[in-house]
Amino acid sequence: MRPFLLEGGSVSQMPVAEGKNVQQTVELLTRKLEMLGAEKQGTFCVDCETYHTAASTLGSQGQAGKLMYVMHNSEYPLSCFALFENGPCLVADTNFDVLMVKLKGFFQSAKASKIETRGTRYQYCDFLVKVGTVTMGPSARGISVEVEYGPCVVASDCWSLLLEFLQSFLGSHTPGAPTVFGNRHDAVYSPADTMVQYMELFNKIRKQQQVPVAGIR
Amino acid sequence: MADVLSVGVNLEAFAQAISAIQALRSSVSRVFDCLKDGMRNKETLEGREKAFIAHFQDNLHSVNRDLNELERLSNLVGKPSENHPLHNSGLLSLDPVQDKTPLYSQLLQAYKWSNKLQYHAGLASGLLNQQSLKRSANQMGVSAKRRPKAQPTTLVLPPQYVDDVISRIDRMFPEMSIHLSRPNGTSAMLLVTLGKVLKVIVVMRSLFIDRTIVKGYNENVHTEDGKLDIWSKSNYQVFQKVTDHATTALLHYQLPQMPDVVVRSFMTWLRSYMKLFQAPCQRCGKFLQDGLPPTWRDFRTLEAFHDTCRQ
Repeated sequence: MRPFLLEGGSVSQMPVAEGKNVQQTVELLTRKLEMLGAEKQGTFCVDCETYHTAASTLGSQGQAGKLMYVMHNSEYPLSCFALFENGPCLVADTNFDVLMVKLKGFFQSAKASKIETRGTRYQYCDFLVKVGTVTMGPSARGISVEVEYGPCVVASDCWSLLLEFLQSFLGSHTPGAPTVFGNRHDAVYSPADTMVQYMELFNKIRKQQQVPVAGIR
Repeated sequence: MADVLSVGVNLEAFAQAISAIQALRSSVSRVFDCLKDGMRNKETLEGREKAFIAHFQDNLHSVNRDLNELERLSNLVGKPSENHPLHNSGLLSLDPVQDKTPLYSQLLQAYKWSNKLQYHAGLASGLLNQQSLKRSANQMGVSAKRRPKAQPTTLVLPPQYVDDVISRIDRMFPEMSIHLSRPNGTSAMLLVTLGKVLKVIVVMRSLFIDRTIVKGYNENVHTEDGKLDIWSKSNYQVFQKVTDHATTALLHYQLPQMPDVVVRSFMTWLRSYMKLFQAPCQRCGKFLQDGLPPTWRDFRTLEAFHDTCRQ
């Protein structure tokens, strides 16, 4: 198990190239990485399930229930992450899943809400790159690209460096600086920061549900 | 060849000396035998005493004779090992199988070579001492002859002085924290934490830096039993590279007369890694080259360069 509180990192959504499907774009990306000299190092998986606040616990004023996301990351196999949008992020043991079943009265799992990304891990020098296909139910909905730079613990310190690395295989599709970077100027990067970025990415992809797959921008 | 011959003669003398020692020992034991037996039965008391004294005298005479003989021989044997310029190693020349084990000739060559080296090193140090380094204006007054004497004294500085120098440096750089410990006797070990960028383990001998290892801010610098881990290297390539450069810096910042200046210069140089991930290369303007940021810092200007971009 790697130590906690690691790596400056970034998760971004990769637009699918014109006239190509998700699968072909992933292949294009991984080929570029391999040409750069990156080495394959197994696979990874990040999943996310949505929970509603149960109707019985809501007040009569008709306030909207908050959404809670329960996520797992194969990089931290013994942990479970529970997040609210813009809210706190709880890092717990994997037993947390059992607890959620007991809390049925307060949090109900949303139907068919499970979204996950799976793909290959690549290592290039001190960089760790994870290119994954985001799937919701049976259909592929997009591509996620995560880049970790292990030696640096303050994300904003190495953003320019990350950007240059991203440009080397994403070309002009590089993302803007993730919001987690700006919030806390010199805070040590933690696994929770990665999960918040995955949550934001998944939410963005969910909102694009109606758009046909190949047409994501 | 004359050496070998004389040693051969000596060998004969050795054999004779050994038999002389044996003779001496047996005559001495005869003396004690005679004393042990005491006076033999004779008719008169006087007869007994006379015979005993005569016998005892004879024995002592023979001891004296053997001792003289041994002394004569020992002069012949001499002291071969001290006559030879290479002392005992000179005996290697006695080895009959020269062709198979040419140790002696090699030894002579090595001896000549090291003599020459010492001579040239002496000349070089005299010349180098005349060239003043920029940081060391007061070095000029120190003559070349005093130098060998100045060096050992800096190795036995009191620990209190070392502590003072380190704590002064610690106060000088707010973004750098230095933790000093002495796990093995008087030699200090420093754990330097530079911002949230990296940690450096510095092994000192008095005020000389013996070894440094650079690791990541999030990497473990202690062994399982809680001591500083001075052997294992960083898991990250970038810090392995910085470790190499730091070792180069140790060799660059050398000033035997003023070890505290050396430590201060080294720490000043080390502090420039504060922007390890933020400073682009001053030559090619890029951040990455072969997946590594600019890991080299110029010794004078402290500017960032890639390892291959520096001149």
